[in-house]
Amino acid sequence: MTFTRRAILPALALAALACALAGCSKPQPVLHVYTWADYIKPELIKQFEAETGARVVIDTFDSNEAMYAKIKAGAAGYDVITPSSYMVSIMNKEGLLQPLDHARLPNLKNVDPEYLAIALDPKLNHSVPYMLTNTGIAYLKSKVPDFEPSWAAFDRADLGRRVTMLNDMRETIGAALKFLGYSLNTTNDQELEQARDVVIRWKKNLAKFENEQYKSGLASGEFVMVHGYSGDIVQVQGENEDIAFAAPREGTSVSCDDFVVPKSAKEVALAHAFVNFLHDPKNAAANSEFIGYLCPNSASYPLLPEDFRSNPAVFLDPAVKAKSEVILDLGDDNVKYTRTWDQIKAAD
Amino acid sequence: MTRSRVPLFTTVAVLVFFYLPVLVLVVNSFNASRFSAGWEGFTLDWYRKLWDAREIWHALRNTLIVATVATTVSTVLGTTAAFALHRYTDRLQQLHYLLIYTPLVIPEILMGMSLLLFFVAINFELGLTTIILSHVTFSMSYVTMTVLGRLQDFDWSLIEAAQDLGADWWTTVRRVLLPLLAPGIAAGALLAFTLSIDDFVITFFVAGPGSTTLPVRIYSMIKHGQPPLINALSTLLLVVTFVTVWLSQRLMGDTR
Repeated sequence: MTFTRRAILPALALAALACALAGCSKPQPVLHVYTWADYIKPELIKQFEAETGARVVIDTFDSNEAMYAKIKAGAAGYDVITPSSYMVSIMNKEGLLQPLDHARLPNLKNVDPEYLAIALDPKLNHSVPYMLTNTGIAYLKSKVPDFEPSWAAFDRADLGRRVTMLNDMRETIGAALKFLGYSLNTTNDQELEQARDVVIRWKKNLAKFENEQYKSGLASGEFVMVHGYSGDIVQVQGENEDIAFAAPREGTSVSCDDFVVPKSAKEVALAHAFVNFLHDPKNAAANSEFIGYLCPNSASYPLLPEDFRSNPAVFLDPAVKAKSEVILDLGDDNVKYTRTWDQIKAAD
Repeated sequence: MTRSRVPLFTTVAVLVFFYLPVLVLVVNSFNASRFSAGWEGFTLDWYRKLWDAREIWHALRNTLIVATVATTVSTVLGTTAAFALHRYTDRLQQLHYLLIYTPLVIPEILMGMSLLLFFVAINFELGLTTIILSHVTFSMSYVTMTVLGRLQDFDWSLIEAAQDLGADWWTTVRRVLLPLLAPGIAAGALLAFTLSIDDFVITFFVAGPGSTTLPVRIYSMIKHGQPPLINALSTLLLVVTFVTVWLSQRLMGDTR
């Protein structure tokens, strides 16, 4: 008897705590945003709530594919989602997205035309670019002498294999394709075979293919040169001043997360207001600085701090940008990359 | 005869493997380095940021609501199911056993996806309710199995004795059956609570707008966010766990 009472008491206490925390819900419009963790500056959300009287509720996903599976299955109630561009194309083909009402988005005039030139939805019919990042090479200035901003850097055998490349078939095969002067979305078998041989050659100089640990590895000096995402590098640069970033002159991959409004959205007007709010130049600049990526909003660039503006990890050189591409979903041809990647992984 | 040192060595090794990662996590929650690459100095910044991170508190609130309700419901259902399975052994109960057993072996991703498709098909709005229903679905099986184990060596003559002595059925249940089964029920409930509190796969699929739980949030933060906040949060949860365990041991010690 005494035992059950002891077991029940904590449960009751927990229930009471939960109810206390759950209290307070007022009838006000609620905007549901489905995005990555820490992807919007919290102060901006508070400001948006103050200006509109609405409440913003943020839910998070950890991969485009998982989010897609969920929305495709019919999960409703999200008003704004921020998938990567290639996933936006897939969702649009599947008819999951609403066309955007440009009359409610006056700030779209600020969107960077240089980015739109390579964007997958240049007319902004169903998506608005939110945050831009690109891959490139980050290195320790003191440990990598005579660094040249080229993918050929991975041919260097003098770095003692303290080098990593991304464990992502499209990024790493794409780097080799760019190195050879081809498109990183190619489906040409011969080009892919050449790229495969280049990556296999590079592999001899690598410690490993790595997606997460390269950040702390570079900060601690375990690795001296890494293939990585610019947004991650900007964050690591805050810890180690010796880290520099370069976008290879042959061009690189650019990826963007876009705002979309799903067909099942309930607060369509509020969703538009939110997208427009985050493309206000002042807000876009504050957000870029907070996240370390770049909101492609031309009017916001002059508002960014000087060291941020001069950082090549944030702003691609225009000549490099012109040669860079967005990774596309290749549909049935994706298997060509899977096969090439398997051969690379299996090679000695 | 010298005593073997193997048990001592094994115990120490197990404790080190178990607690060393936890210790590293606690230390890093005070590390100024964002990527835990090295010691960059002591800071309470992550705790300050955690205090302001309202989405994390919202997620924690959701997790606690789900875990509490799902544990309560699945403990009641699981215990009664175990009782039925043990008491009766006809065809129907064999089928029942099979159906209870299946959720233990079904891959989570399959369960999550099918639950989502089911909720969408019957037009049931996704949210805390759907998460709770899903958690009850899988944790109930664990409770049933645990209580069933306790029932295996249950002495039914005690029930008969109680009834011989004039206790009605309800009194027998309350004063004899439940106290004897309590360790099994409590173990099952704890198991259900633990499973519910850290379930990711199923929860991700059946969660609706505004019902992100802590594990879902943490997965997204690992990919894209501030890992030290997770260290700080985990440290706080550890402190709560240790204090709870310590308190419950003290309370038990007092009544023993």
